[in-house]
Formats: sequence, C-alpha cells, structure tokens
Amino acid sequence: MIAVRDLTKHYHVGDHVVRALRGVTLDVAAGEFVTVVGPSGSGKSTFMHILGCLDRPTSGQYLLHGRDVSHLGADDLARVRNETIGFVFQGFNLMARTSALENVELPLLYTRQGALGAAERRSRAMRALAAVGLTDRADHHPSQLSGGQQQRVAIARALINEPALLLADEPTGNLDTETSQEVMKIFAELRATRGLTIVVITHERDIAAWGTRTIDFRDGVVVSDRVNADEPRATVPAEEPV
Amino acid sequence: MTPARLHRVLAHLRPLLVSLRPVAETAVKALSRNRLQTGLTMIGIAVGVATVLAMMAVGAGAQRSIEQQVRAAGLNQITIKAGNWKPKQAIDGGAAAPHGDAGDSLRLPVDDLMPALPRAGAAWRRDDVVPIAFHPEDDPMEKHDHPLAWQRLGDLEAGLGAAATLSFEDAEAIRRLPGVQYVACGVHANARVHAGDRRWFTRMHGTDLELPNIKRTWTFTSGRFFTRREQDRGAQVLVLGQVAAERLFGEGVDPVGREVTLWNQPFDVVGVIGSASWVVRPAPGDDEFDAVYMPFTTTHRLLNLSKLNDITVTAASSGAVSEVARAITELLRQRHGISAAMPDDFTVSTQATSAIAGGGLAPGVAQVIAGNVRELERVTLDQLATTLERASRTMTWLLGAVAFVSLLVGGIGIMNITLLSVTERTREIGLRMAVGARGRDVMRQFLAEAVAISLAGGAAGIVLGILASAAIAATLGWATVVSFTSVFVAFGVAAAVGVFFGYYPARRAAALDPIVALRRE
Repeated sequence: MIAVRDLTKHYHVGDHVVRALRGVTLDVAAGEFVTVVGPSGSGKSTFMHILGCLDRPTSGQYLLHGRDVSHLGADDLARVRNETIGFVFQGFNLMARTSALENVELPLLYTRQGALGAAERRSRAMRALAAVGLTDRADHHPSQLSGGQQQRVAIARALINEPALLLADEPTGNLDTETSQEVMKIFAELRATRGLTIVVITHERDIAAWGTRTIDFRDGVVVSDRVNADEPRATVPAEEPV
Repeated sequence: MTPARLHRVLAHLRPLLVSLRPVAETAVKALSRNRLQTGLTMIGIAVGVATVLAMMAVGAGAQRSIEQQVRAAGLNQITIKAGNWKPKQAIDGGAAAPHGDAGDSLRLPVDDLMPALPRAGAAWRRDDVVPIAFHPEDDPMEKHDHPLAWQRLGDLEAGLGAAATLSFEDAEAIRRLPGVQYVACGVHANARVHAGDRRWFTRMHGTDLELPNIKRTWTFTSGRFFTRREQDRGAQVLVLGQVAAERLFGEGVDPVGREVTLWNQPFDVVGVIGSASWVVRPAPGDDEFDAVYMPFTTTHRLLNLSKLNDITVTAASSGAVSEVARAITELLRQRHGISAAMPDDFTVSTQATSAIAGGGLAPGVAQVIAGNVRELERVTLDQLATTLERASRTMTWLLGAVAFVSLLVGGIGIMNITLLSVTERTREIGLRMAVGARGRDVMRQFLAEAVAISLAGGAAGIVLGILASAAIAATLGWATVVSFTSVFVAFGVAAAVGVFFGYYPARRAAALDPIVALRRE
C-alpha cells in the first residue's frame, strides 16, 4: 500500500535548513492500522503531509499503490488526495455556518468528473454520515454539535470518496478521553469492516495503543517500529463504549 | 434560434452549469457572511454600471433625436439638378457661398447678369460671383419667347434644371452608392389640369415612387402613391396635392377614383397628399401641395423625353451627407466624362431649402442652435448636425469618465473584499485543497465570488441607470434611450470588472500551500 524509501524533507527557515525528515524507509501493508508517535519536531507531521500528498519530499521515493507520487504536479496530487486519501484533522476543520451534510459533501465538488449533482451528493453524504452514526444530525451546523460529533462529521467527510488510506493528525487532540476512545473505536471498526489502511498521528500512548503497529519518530528518523501483538483493546481503560 | 437548437445548446451547457452551481452557491454563502462590506462594495459597482447605462442612454438618445430631427428637417437630403449655371470657383468658395438653395437659384442669376447687362447703380452688383458661363435662356428676368422647361429638355447648353445631363441611368448608379437611402428621379413642368369643367394651372412633377419616403412631412389624406408596376409601364395615374385637389374637386370631396385630363390625356386620380407637419401648411402656389404627381416614366412617354431635371437623394445617415454628396459628384463626373479642368454639368446641393428660417425644425433643435451657434444665418444644416453630434459626444465622454472612475473604485472595493475573504478563509482553502480542490478550483471559487458581487451590484446599477436615464430625460430634457443592448453591455461591464479585480485575490488563494493554509488560525 505505502512504500517509503529514504525519504528526506528539508525546509528553509530564514538562513538555516531544518531537516524534518532524514531518511525514512518503511512499508505499510493494506489494512494496517498504524499509529505514529513522537515528540514535537520529530518529523511525524511532515511525514504525514508527505503520505497525504499535501507535500513533496526533498528526496527519496514514495510509492502509493505502487505508483511513485513523490514528484507529481500539484493538480495530480490534488486528484490523489481526492480519490485515494481521507484526512481527519485535530481541529476538525469543518466549515462554520454550513450543515454537517454539506461539510461531508465537500470532496464531491472536486471529483474527476467535476462536481456531482446535488441529489447524488446528498445521498452519498447521508450514507457516510450513517457510517459514523450521525444521520440524525445531518442538518446541524458544527456549532450545534459536540466535539466528538464534529470529529465524526469530519471522519464521514474523509470517507465519502471511499479512500484506501485514512490519515488522521492528532484526531483526539481536542477531545476528552471518553470521546477520544469513541473516535478511535470508529477507526478500528472502519479498518475491520472496510479494510481501510489507517495512519494516525498522536502523542498519547493510550491512543497509539489502538494501532496494530506503532512507529516512533525522533529527530526525523524512525527510532522504533513495533507490532502491537496484544489485542489493542486490552490497553484501553476498561469501560463500555457508548 | 430554433427551440431544437436551443435545446441542444442547453444540453451542452448543462454540465458546465451543474459544475458552476456549487461554485455559485459557495460564493453567495461566502458573501452573505460579510453583508455590510459586500453591500458597500456593490454600491460602487452599481453607481458605475448605472453611469455606463446612463451614458449609453444619453448617447443613443442624442443620436436618435439628432437623426430624427435632422431627417424631419431634410438634412439628409441631397438634390442633384441638371446643369450648372454657377462658376466653378463660386461653388468651391466656401461658407460664404454655400451650395445654393431654392432662394439662391432665383436670385443669383440676376446678379450674375449684371456685368453683362450694363445698368445704372452698381449697388446691385455682387462681387463674389463672377460669371464665366451663362446661357441667355436662363435669365428669368429676360422677356423673350420663353419655351417651357420641358420643351428645352435636350438642350445641352441650357441652365440649371433644364440641361439634358441627368439620366435615369445616373439615378440608378447613384442608388448603388453606399450610404444612399432613397433615390427619386424628377421631371418637372407646369400643366393645366382639367376635372370636368374645372381647371387648375399647377406644377406637374414627374417623379419616382420613392418620393413619399423622402418627403417625411407628407401624409396621404386619401388613396396612395403610384406603384412600382404603374411606374414601370408609365401608367396614366395622378396623385394630387391637397391644394390642387381642392381646386379641382372642391373641399371635402374625395377625388380618388375620378378622372382628370392633362395634356389632353386621361389620368386616374389615385391619391391625395396632405401635410402631416403643423409647420408646413398646404397653400396655393407652393411646390408640394399645389402640384400633381405622376410617374416620371409617364412624363417621359407622353412628352417624348428621356432626361431628368433633377434627382433627389437621401443619405442613410445624416452625418454622411457630405460624404455621399461628394461620392455622387465624383460618380456623375465620371459617368459624364467630365475632365478635371471642366466644371460639373450638374449641381449637387446638400442643404434643405430654408431649413432653419422656414421652420420644420423641432423646437429643441432650434434652441440648441440658438444657444450654441453664432451667426445663425450662416449655419448650414450639415454644420448643425455636426454641432449636435459633438454636444452629445461631450456628454457621453463626461459620463464615460464618471463611469470609469466609479467602476475603478468599485473594482478596488471588490478586490479588497475578495482579499479579505481569502484571508478570512485561508483554513477553508487549505481544507478544500486537502480534500482534492486544485488551484484552479479555488481560483474559480473566488473569481465567482468577485463576479457575484459585481453582478449583484450590476443588477442594482441597471435599475439605477434606468432611473437615472429617466431623470436625465425629465430634468435636462435630453432624449435617452435604454436599449437591450446597453443593458447587456452594462451587465457585461460589471462581470468584466468582477473578473478583472477578482483575479489577483483569486490567484493568491489558488497559490496557497495547503499545509500552510491548514495551519493558519
């Protein structure tokens, strides 16, 4: 699914160069649930941006589905993001004064065929909302939704084009523990039911434990890459999901 | 466009419209977030568009009223008379000796005669005209056994109107010149018309069926003018001027369908001409209504003639009169094989007879002339048209300048609000890019926003512009014409302003780095 070879990324900040990634090589198989941990400035976010085709590496190779996407043009990258990748952000990034349904519809405006018809958009958005259990909140605006609900809307938006890869950057950073577990449970279910490949960035150990594999970044390189052999749910504090 | 074709075109446009719709919706939604700014920006555009519309309305209105008034005054009329009794240098002598009107044609030959006929009292004499060619028969004061004009036709030496130099073929050639609207041949004589035991001595015009198009003040009180068919076969049909009709048949009697006799030939009366203008009243002795009209072909046939006394032409545009007159002069010189050194054997005059002094001019026009032109008596109608057109052009330029400035201000407002919108929604732009929007999608969205403001402002401006045009018409007395074309143009201008001033902010939005945009607070 994902094959990264000797990936580096340098930023120029004023006069000096920031080496955010200093040679990362790893593979992620389809259906894996990878959690990425590491302190601030470890390069995990940069790694995530490159995985998400929001950014291009300075050197190295990134094969997505066997296709080298590391040097695609901006429009081609946009297409890959639209068709193959779903994003979930820490701050939800929902459009205010816009209903949950319309927020979910957003990626459908930018499909390869151009914007889909209103009816088609609506029915697909409703299906995506159903997948995160928010059918009854379709017409609510983000300000009328709780944090957890907002993040579920964002997940529905990420799912609407049926991507193969779901990327989440600190998806629980703005949520309380209980809601965080709910969101992670949704990820786990999506992986189980749809076979989605999921990469989640976090700095919370208990969130990272949801992954089938945890990668630890430090100073732009991978310092540990381990498979969570035990059943991930076991590390969760004992409580019933809502 | 046929409905089927329209349907096809719409079918082609459908995908475009469908893809534009979410863009437009987003734009409208975005604009409704900054209602006050959007509204204020719209005002600028609205004023600009309104001014554009008013400008076009004044321009078109002035153009139309000039055309109308000028046509009514006969300003687009050109008369070509056979013969040329004037010395060449007098014709080219400039404003002091304009191409002669009917008054001149009666007066000047007498003056021209003076050196030839020694008389006491040099006060009569006019120094600016020196005769070089003169035919004794053309002296109206001379008492001799004067043959009628029609009897003299064919005499190459004869003077104005009588020389046998103009032919039907000349008229046809003139008709093919660009800028020529109507052409009417003319053969004229005096004739005694009999209706029963009543008789009336009057003017006889052998003319062309296009004459009623040229004589805009005419109205048919009864019947019609003669037809193409009647003209082609030289039918013995007669149209009576109102005065002639009253003298021959009495007042209140409709002579159409009755028979009259002329040159011992029977003629059917087919129509009666009256005046539609309150300025021109039919009177005995005038040339138009105390007259009878027949096809010139009939005159030719009965009097065994082949030439014309004159040709009356109208120019399609009043501004082109001089040009058309020049073209006619050149055409006829060429057709008549006149070498450069020789004077014309015809006379082209572009001035309506006693136009300003004799009335027939709309009061508004007369007022404008009185206010704008010194030495009123010297002005030719051609100059008048130029003056009017210049005045309206000045107004148009003035409004154009106002429109330009307000559209510029409005456009900068649009740029400003679009930049504001881009800044406010940087995160949203980043998000849209993250879910697959390309640079051009973002660009299109912000352009749509800018155009939406300018079109909304433009729509308000069109309403405002129509009101302004009406206000200009009501207060200044300027004629204004708001046409569909000008509304479209005004709307187009609004859209263009939106695109032009929205381009920069939209490009800035499109060039954003999604990561940076997503991080922006």
